[in-house]
Amino acid sequence: MAKIIVNATHKGGEGKTTNSIMLAEYAALVKRLKTLIIDMDPQGNFSGRYIRMDYDPAYKGGKIPALHPDYEPDVDINWDGRSSIANIFYGEEVIPYPTSISNLELLPAHSIKLQEAEAVTKNDVIEKVHLQLKRFLELPDVQNNYDIIIIDTPPSKGPLTIAAIKAASHVVIPAQMEQFSIEGIYGMLQLWKQESYYRSKDNPIDLIGILPNQVRDIKLHKQFLNGLCKMKGVADYVMPHVIKKRAIYTEILVEEASPKSIFELPESNVARKEYEGACRYIMERVLDHG
Amino acid sequence: MAKKKVFQISDALTEGLEETITAAHNYTGELRVDVIPIKRIEVDPENPRDLALKMDDLYHGIDESDPLYERKSDELRNLQTLANSIRDQGIINPIVVYKFGEKYRLVAGERRTLASLLAGRSEIQAKILDSKPNELKISLLQWIENVERTDLSLWERLRNLEKIVQTHAVKKGMLSEQVTVTELSNLIGCTKPHAMNYKAVLLADHELKELIRDNKIRNLEKAALISGIQSASVKAHVIDACLAGAVLKKLKVIATQDVQKSKPVHVKKQLLLQRGRQATAVNLGVTKNLKVAKTIIDSLIKQSELSYFSEHVSEIDWDSYKSVTETFKRLLQKLEELHA
Repeated sequence: MAKIIVNATHKGGEGKTTNSIMLAEYAALVKRLKTLIIDMDPQGNFSGRYIRMDYDPAYKGGKIPALHPDYEPDVDINWDGRSSIANIFYGEEVIPYPTSISNLELLPAHSIKLQEAEAVTKNDVIEKVHLQLKRFLELPDVQNNYDIIIIDTPPSKGPLTIAAIKAASHVVIPAQMEQFSIEGIYGMLQLWKQESYYRSKDNPIDLIGILPNQVRDIKLHKQFLNGLCKMKGVADYVMPHVIKKRAIYTEILVEEASPKSIFELPESNVARKEYEGACRYIMERVLDHG
Repeated sequence: MAKKKVFQISDALTEGLEETITAAHNYTGELRVDVIPIKRIEVDPENPRDLALKMDDLYHGIDESDPLYERKSDELRNLQTLANSIRDQGIINPIVVYKFGEKYRLVAGERRTLASLLAGRSEIQAKILDSKPNELKISLLQWIENVERTDLSLWERLRNLEKIVQTHAVKKGMLSEQVTVTELSNLIGCTKPHAMNYKAVLLADHELKELIRDNKIRNLEKAALISGIQSASVKAHVIDACLAGAVLKKLKVIATQDVQKSKPVHVKKQLLLQRGRQATAVNLGVTKNLKVAKTIIDSLIKQSELSYFSEHVSEIDWDSYKSVTETFKRLLQKLEELHA
């Protein structure tokens, strides 16, 4: 079975997307794994890093994936040339996009379609949304083509995040060492706990841990991190890697950045060493478990 | 001087985080409910419930040469109501099973499984545990599933409880007798007075246990009271009264009285064959057949002490239920006056 890592926390700005990017590039560039990345966040930032996202003409502010490189208008008469992970909720075909990194393929977001799926309230439909991603990822076509699947989630606890959790084999919770963020961890742990109640031993949902992110040398961050590490049971789930607040992590995301990836920096680079340590820890945990 | 800043994650949040992790560890897979084929379910030989009815009996019908034919037929009839409700609405609570090779072994829900078969279902909702739960947990689950059940006898409940206490004691490295009332009430989730009664009955002597086993004493409070009596003679006295159908209050009075001074107790001897509330009157039944009523009334007025009543009887409209009933009631009244 391909391992499925979900970066999730319902609080925004914790570093879910950055962490998804780092993990994806570590898996594809460093580990040379066949990697599929999935963007469940209607904001589409994760997708935007790897393919062009167009503004949705039908929905102001919404984004849709650019035309698929394989799309041939003359031949594909039943296809509009765009494909997103949201298609799975509408019974439509899903075609991954290649990226500039070999081994790395993307199922991008589609703002309005994902938002509609997220906004579903009818009980029977919610259940379908919850299980749809899991069913999709269990397809032999998906399982046979990838070693690892990395999912970025929206900052919510809604149906899209739940769908990702239900599909996940591993969960990472990136979090700042601040009051609201730690409250956010609590909320996310509830979701993980609830899901673990439904899992069998053969199909567990492993919490890799909380990744302390954007940590600065201030008392608050140190003391909160220290506090987490002292909690009974919780301590085992605080990753032994800390990501500091560094300009490079955001600078590398701009279009003109060169190199494009942290993992293209010299191995001695402090930032690369730091994030690579965290990625290695996560990947070892994920791949070790059978 | 500025106050030195200390940042701390609040106690409430700390507690919440810790509890969440612990709960996730302890209950992984606890809510895994699936629909499984009944054919793959088998009973756990360790289960203390004593249904004679087997799944095979439902697949092939009960064999008339089966020595347990009567009992099994009875049980089958009792399952019919449950089967009807399952036919209408399915089961409300899923049964609990654990994986045993290719099969699923029942932890709780034998009646629901049998009734589902009876209702013509081939599948059932089940909570699936990954492996056989430890002895204590299995007994506890069975206890919880069974505790609401009215048709379990005191003896069956005690057997169940004995197992729970034993496994708990083994786990703690002590003797069954050392399990305290508080532990017991925590284990089975009941109040302390209730647990106290159970504990007393668990410690009952052989004689009392036999009476419970034979279903002659079926009330937990009464059994607990008797078990707690030290003096053999008082105990024998109370048992006699109990078997004669005395209420708990009366038994308590007897138990606290000195046997020498106490007056002999007069309680009506009754046969105790039925479970349920103590009967305090005789129900003479109902008949729609006027001839039956006439036969009874005719034979009653043949009694010399009621012969004077025959005048009334001659006035009866033998075709009117009301008239016959009225007469019979008056006859009963007279009889009660005569025997008061």
